Amino acid sequence: MDSERTALLDSYEGRITQFACEVILDPSPDAVAIAIDALVTSLCAAGLDGCAARMRPLRDAAPADIGDAVARAWHEWRADDEIQADVLALGGDPELAGMFAAEALDHLGTIEATLLKLEETPEDKTLLNDVFRPFHTIKGNAGALGLTTVQQFAHTVESLLDRCRSGKHRVGSAEIDVVLKAVDLMTALINDLTARAAGKPGHPYRVERLALMAAVEEVIASGGECVEQTAVETPPPAAVALPLTDTPAAASAPAVRDVTVAAREPHAAMKEAQTAVKVDTRKLDGLVDMVGELVILQSLVYEDPKLAAVADERLTRTLAQLRRITTELQRGAMSMRMVPIRQTFQKMSRLVRDLSRQSGKAVELTLVGEETELDRRVVEDINDPLMHMVRNSVDHGIEPADVRRASGKRETGKLSLRAFHQSGAIVIEIADDGAGLNADRIRDKAIRQGLISPNDTLSAEAINELIFRPGFSTAEKVTEISGRGVGMDVVRRNVEALRGRIDIKTRQGEGTTFSIKLPLTLAILDGLLIGVGSERFVIPTFAVRESLRPLASQVHTVRGEPRLIMVRERLLPLVWLSDLFSTSAARVDPLESTVVVIEDEQRSIGLVADRLIGKQEVVVKTLGDAFAGVKGVAGGAILGDGRIGLILDAHGIASRIDELRGAETREAA
Amino acid sequence: MSETTKASAGKYLTFALAHEEYGVPVLKVREIIKMMDITTVPQVPPHIKGVINLRGKVIPIVDLRLKFGLPTQDYTERTCIIVVEVELAGRRLMLGMIVDWVSEVLNIATDEIEATPDFGERLETEYMRGVAKIKGSVKILLDLDRVLAADGVVAQAAA
Repeated sequence: MDSERTALLDSYEGRITQFACEVILDPSPDAVAIAIDALVTSLCAAGLDGCAARMRPLRDAAPADIGDAVARAWHEWRADDEIQADVLALGGDPELAGMFAAEALDHLGTIEATLLKLEETPEDKTLLNDVFRPFHTIKGNAGALGLTTVQQFAHTVESLLDRCRSGKHRVGSAEIDVVLKAVDLMTALINDLTARAAGKPGHPYRVERLALMAAVEEVIASGGECVEQTAVETPPPAAVALPLTDTPAAASAPAVRDVTVAAREPHAAMKEAQTAVKVDTRKLDGLVDMVGELVILQSLVYEDPKLAAVADERLTRTLAQLRRITTELQRGAMSMRMVPIRQTFQKMSRLVRDLSRQSGKAVELTLVGEETELDRRVVEDINDPLMHMVRNSVDHGIEPADVRRASGKRETGKLSLRAFHQSGAIVIEIADDGAGLNADRIRDKAIRQGLISPNDTLSAEAINELIFRPGFSTAEKVTEISGRGVGMDVVRRNVEALRGRIDIKTRQGEGTTFSIKLPLTLAILDGLLIGVGSERFVIPTFAVRESLRPLASQVHTVRGEPRLIMVRERLLPLVWLSDLFSTSAARVDPLESTVVVIEDEQRSIGLVADRLIGKQEVVVKTLGDAFAGVKGVAGGAILGDGRIGLILDAHGIASRIDELRGAETREAA
Repeated sequence: MSETTKASAGKYLTFALAHEEYGVPVLKVREIIKMMDITTVPQVPPHIKGVINLRGKVIPIVDLRLKFGLPTQDYTERTCIIVVEVELAGRRLMLGMIVDWVSEVLNIATDEIEATPDFGERLETEYMRGVAKIKGSVKILLDLDRVLAADGVVAQAAA
């Protein structure tokens, strides 16, 4: 909202008060009519026709409490006016708005529960952090969507929480009280916004919001020592207090209490608007597992020789129908979990735009791989970390224009978000062309915060690692964008919760790239099924370059053993899974086998398979923590007969080869 | 082994392993299935036979004979997999144990349970929670979380 308009509106606050005084001094109908005409004319002149339109009926109705009525109309109008931009922002993308609301309401629910626990153990820093973080996320999300009112409000409350978190402010009943009220009001605000965005009438929460924000400020100012005084008992500050009775502003304290009641009302409207159902991913997992089993049983029935022997047209038709429906069901169940990352990326582009405006840095964002499909849960959980990282990149990574110019860079900073598959994993990369991580500053900061001692010698990686420590932040000042020390620790925690990994590549002066590598928790994999001995393995198609039946002329021996194969002018090592996995199975003669050429980033190898079974779409399952240390295996796939085939991981196989070679060399030496 | 970790009274599923009788708390048992094809996983200790698909879930399988260093034998008609739920590093995990055969569910009273005798240093007793003497026979009561976590079913990458 532009400040000029805000100033204009603020000046009218006084004008409205003046009007109320006038009608009290001279309540004769004529005087009132003249006063209200003057007010309406002035409003029209200021371009506030909408407000004037609300005042006009009051002139004709001329209620006894005209002063209050005008003030009420003014406040209602101002609330509607202020929220208009937010409603437009939400209405622009209903899907995004729905996601935001659902997420925020979820967070608020958690916050409420945590607050109640915190009330019992106010010294518990973990609980306090658990309140702070979701609040921070809501603020960030609201900011990203352009919901100024929610963001401002959240920021105020967050400031209080931040002071508590850093130990500057003691948590007492007043604090818990006011934050709980803030949670209620926030719920009400979000529901109200959603209702308005859906074209339903809203409720003016402006007065309550301002009063509560003032109450929070009051609590902050109190320094956390006066535990007895509750926020609502503090007199509403001047900005809101009007010398009128019965206006929502003067009665701001009770109004704040009423919010809890009012908040319940828009829920009914919300329910109508939502056609999507939030389902626990565990339920979905269960469904997918069951459908998987159904498919297997179905194929067992379908291929049963006894049934095949029955030449009955109706049975054949029924079986075919069953097959079709099962397949369809499976596809449906699968697709329920998979969503493209597009929406998350789009949220980021909005975020970058706003951040760039707020920070005054020109940033150009490139999005690559928006179509990449990720597990629903991954998409949901990756949102917060991505947001923090994008914020960090714009706030800390990309330098201000003058610095960039001085170092010979283009003034517009570059930020890119990429999502892609890489050896059975999904990688999301956030790269900026900014200043890069400043190792010295990180070190200094960490020493000052007592994370490391000045005598510690740390490798470059270890220093970069420091930014993931809780409470670490190199920002010089606390901005609305970032720099409160939440962020990277949350990022890492969220990524690790998805069993992913986060890596930093940084070059001083050239930029920083964060890459988040996520496992395919439940992706469908297009794979090549091979048989080795009694086992079957799945090789992800993206890792396979080709498969061939080698000719004698292609295979070359080393010390009498076939160890190399010439494929398209390239000499590749032949690798047997039995060697790799140290099983007792004998090596198969490559001439009797199929050689599958697989490649990872650096190299290609020829994998010797006893037989090639075919191409298949398989459901990827992790083998679980029990097999976390196994190299060369990316997971398990449930095959057509219900057995499990191991999914090979090209990258892991390559490193396994290195390991074995290292061991051989050591033995030889 | 201290008294406090001694097995508590209750229902136990008993099974046989090379002429010995063992018991595990019934509450830990999810189901009992017949022996089925197991997919071998490389780089793990030999007693971890691999994984099976139990209705869409991948479950690791441990051969208890191998685990306890008992002589191996071919699987028979009576060989079973007992699927149990164990806690590993704070996480719950389903796991299958191959046993010779499943005997019965027994109600074991407190006074039938004795603390694990001291065998001297040669026997691993850390995963025993006591022995129960019932009608002249001895059942070894197992602490499943320890049996299956002790050496880390978690492959410490036998590199």
